Amino acid sequence: MTSTNRLLNRLLVFVVGLVLFLAGGVVAAGALVPSVQKPVADGANDAKGPTGDALSGGTPWILWVVAAAALVLIVLLLWFVFRQGHGRTSTLLTVRSGEGAGSPQGGSLVIDAKVAEEVLEEALSRDPAIVSVDVTAFEVKKQNVLRITVQTRRGMSPVDVRRVVDRAVSEWDTLLGTQTPVVVQIVSGIRTQVSGTARVA
Amino acid sequence: MSTALYKRVLRRETHSSRSGVAIVLAVILIVVFAWAGTESVLAALERPALLVSPKDAAVSVLGAASGPVGLLTAAGVVAAVIGIILIVVSFAPGRRGRRGVDAGRTAVLVDDRVIAQSVSRSGAYAGDVDPSQVKVTVGKRTVDVDVTRTSGRTADVRSIQDAVNDELSSYDFSPTLRGKVRLSKKAEIA
Repeated sequence: MTSTNRLLNRLLVFVVGLVLFLAGGVVAAGALVPSVQKPVADGANDAKGPTGDALSGGTPWILWVVAAAALVLIVLLLWFVFRQGHGRTSTLLTVRSGEGAGSPQGGSLVIDAKVAEEVLEEALSRDPAIVSVDVTAFEVKKQNVLRITVQTRRGMSPVDVRRVVDRAVSEWDTLLGTQTPVVVQIVSGIRTQVSGTARVA
Repeated sequence: MSTALYKRVLRRETHSSRSGVAIVLAVILIVVFAWAGTESVLAALERPALLVSPKDAAVSVLGAASGPVGLLTAAGVVAAVIGIILIVVSFAPGRRGRRGVDAGRTAVLVDDRVIAQSVSRSGAYAGDVDPSQVKVTVGKRTVDVDVTRTSGRTADVRSIQDAVNDELSSYDFSPTLRGKVRLSKKAEIA
């Protein structure tokens, strides 16, 4: 339901994997072939002097460039980490004022997601098939979507639970006067495990 | 309702976002870059290094090329294997053990665990055994039902199979499921 950029997640995992694979592969393969290993080791030994000079106090600009590059990468990665899992919204519906039928005049109408939460949780938590309900609103592709997460009693048929939720949703639609997209999640959680098996009536 | 929206939500909610792996990798990279950046600044200001100065680090990396062959190969292989695992993770679908359906008014997602518990209960009821004697495993397209009969009694596999099939045919979730009931050889003392 969140707006996490999944392609970017997979891209990061892929790039890190590829770098590790290539670096590891080159090191392992190079070390095993003496005709490769020898010249590389000699070259590396020769490069020790100049590299050491470049990174010591003599030429500080290289060190500053390294530090700046590290800072830029850190900022990018922090942005990447903190943009995960967004997309929750507190508003369910906004009706702008207008002339047409069904739109308010003289001001716009905002319906908070909290209203839907209260009504649906109240309607559903009374059902014996359900042990707990959580209602959250998300913004998906510029549309506000309600997500109803229902924890069932152990052994309840998901089809029956769905029927119960569908009834509550249609009552909510009548109350709201319009329809917003709804996603129903029927899950089994910690409260399902301890709630005991549903009895056959 | 909006089919395209539901299609998107269903696809996203039945597959992993890979944010766990991605965040762990990002944090590791942040720590490494933060350390490298700090050491560079300290070296530029000619202050003592925290752990290793950039000069010593670069020189010892270059020196490692002439290190023992076995060690180099082992280190390389370990890095390459981790790399392959990450590449596979980045391409694998990462199913989350859920299935869904666009039911018109709503989109519905169901945990495989809920299905397993429900199948277990209706199988136990049909076969007149305790629910704890019916073990259900839900795969991508199959439901395996393992029934342990009570010692000294038979279990009616046919009616359990019918009950399981009934239950599964009442679902419209995709991917669809097929049930297979097996009676275990050993019995349980009631």
